Amino acid sequence: MFKNEEMEINLGPQHPSTHGVLRVKLRLDGETVVSCKPVIGYLHRGVEKICENKSYFQGQVWTDRMDYVASISNNLGWAEGVEKLFGIEVPRRAKYIRTLLTEQNRLASHLLWLATHALDIGAMTVFLYAFREREYLLDLFESFCGARLTTTAFRIGGLREDLPPGFIKQAQVFQDRFLDCVDEYETLLTENRIWKKRTIGVARLNAEDCIALGVTGPVLRAAGVPYDIRKAFPYAAYGEMAFEVPTRTEADTYARYLVRLAEMRQSHRIIQQCLEGLPEGPVMAKIPKILKSEVNEVYHPIEAPKGELGYYFVGEKGGTMPYRMHVRAPSFVNLQALPKMVEGRLLADVIAAIGTLDVVLGEIDR
Amino acid sequence: MSEPNTPEVPPAEAPSGPYRYDLAASPQRQIVLPKTAPVPSLATYKAEVLAQAAADEAKWQKQLADFEVAKAKAEAEGKDAPKAPVRAVPRKDDNDLKTPWPVEAVDPDLLSLQGLLGDRAEEIFQQAGELVCQVKKEAILEALELCRDEGDLRYEMLADECATHYPAGKDFTFSVVYHLTSISRQKRLRLRILIPEGFAPASACEIYPSANWMEREIYDMLGIRFTGHPDMTRILCPEDWEGYPLRKEYPTVGWGQRDIDFREDRGGVLNRIAMTTAGQLGINLKQPKAD
Repeated sequence: MFKNEEMEINLGPQHPSTHGVLRVKLRLDGETVVSCKPVIGYLHRGVEKICENKSYFQGQVWTDRMDYVASISNNLGWAEGVEKLFGIEVPRRAKYIRTLLTEQNRLASHLLWLATHALDIGAMTVFLYAFREREYLLDLFESFCGARLTTTAFRIGGLREDLPPGFIKQAQVFQDRFLDCVDEYETLLTENRIWKKRTIGVARLNAEDCIALGVTGPVLRAAGVPYDIRKAFPYAAYGEMAFEVPTRTEADTYARYLVRLAEMRQSHRIIQQCLEGLPEGPVMAKIPKILKSEVNEVYHPIEAPKGELGYYFVGEKGGTMPYRMHVRAPSFVNLQALPKMVEGRLLADVIAAIGTLDVVLGEIDR
Repeated sequence: MSEPNTPEVPPAEAPSGPYRYDLAASPQRQIVLPKTAPVPSLATYKAEVLAQAAADEAKWQKQLADFEVAKAKAEAEGKDAPKAPVRAVPRKDDNDLKTPWPVEAVDPDLLSLQGLLGDRAEEIFQQAGELVCQVKKEAILEALELCRDEGDLRYEMLADECATHYPAGKDFTFSVVYHLTSISRQKRLRLRILIPEGFAPASACEIYPSANWMEREIYDMLGIRFTGHPDMTRILCPEDWEGYPLRKEYPTVGWGQRDIDFREDRGGVLNRIAMTTAGQLGINLKQPKAD
């Protein structure tokens, strides 16, 4: 065997398939990746420092700007974390509405992932289909909280407003046609020969490596580990919902695609249960205008579309601002696995690997 | 550029380094360092509760004694007896807050971990349904290894590792917490070490490879170096960044115009200075309307 001269190239930070400002330093031997080093921090804004200088109510708007395609999940993590810190019990109706919106946001996030991932690999058509449904969901969010992406949907203690009139009807319209839409995506991709060739066996990461590297979410479930925080540590109204945790055992890009599609169907199921079983009652708990904490620390994990999203708060006595706020961002930890997935593989597979990890740089750099 | 009423503007002094920060540059916004070190702990909480109860009792006894004195005085002078004191009950707020106080550890995981670690475990307790174990700073690797490998613990995943700065801590400056998850048993555990400034704790990378980037982030944000880490470099900030942003003494304002607090600028003098400075720096700011 002879060896070519190794070449070092930069992928990103302005490359469109790096989903933001991710820079990957690659050493190539021909087209084979010898080593891979992700370089991050181009979008660092110091959200943790900012939130330590804002009150518990003000800090929530910064969570929208971390994972900006799944901002409602981020809002939920913040709100529930603070509620855990202060021991606030949220009314049941508020919990249901939170679950409903978070699942719709999971759909929106997975749709964006499907669109861009397929676009990276070369399937343009599904992008247009996925964005059509995502638009509808964003319009629903706008009718609820006035914003499409930076939602700040929840308040500490519940919700600011109940669902707007007509929301349930509009959501039901979406529900009635969404499963057909998922079938539509499947006709475009699942048995597509090019898609299968580009994804099957690509960017493998087995269960041991996933757990060792802290990888969570669909990537872990595609490796055969049925770990879902909605089931393992139920929060919001997930304890009352009937749903399954889809898993695959192949641990490759194609398996992750199938897991995410199955998750969309399960999210659809949860939304349907929320719409049908929505209890009556208030949507806001009684909380003081100014929250003053005691000496306390909490870590609250939720299942964001990308994996485990954890909020860590430390409160000081009488403090109106968190003494320390830390975000365990799923993309940040998942991206650590990128070298393991691509080293020894072809350069073109790096694009598939970045897409299949579903990273959002706003969350990685915070 | 210069208007007749514009005061003489000193030339804008360039910062000495690319990212140097200077506390004296923004005297109005000096950082107020925290006066307490809020490390949740069952022992501290118990001591506080006891101290509070003792203080309440002392206050009540003093009220009683004062009453006796006043009563005796009133009797001697032939006046009406004063009103007997009523013991104050804590006011109950009309809201739904139920603060989760630390409670004694009853979870078998914590008890068995304490049994395994012996005196290397400093404290165990539960708070808000979360299991907390504080271990000696030298013994963190053994504790992590026990948590991962021991048959009835099996915490396979290190979910998160982060640190907090406590400038007011007595014999420690930082706490480092490790959030462990047991996927097979669906449990969570928090390990904590308290370390002084300059102490380099052992890196958890050997036991949990996921600690790699988390420890780099801790180093980047708080300046804690981990021994045995494969790549102890900055991760989010540039390599030549000065200071550690998540330390409490790090300012939240930058150098330059933002040092001027326009809310306190009643005469509009500072505003004009800012305009001129901006002009010198080549920044186009719209002139405000004249009164």
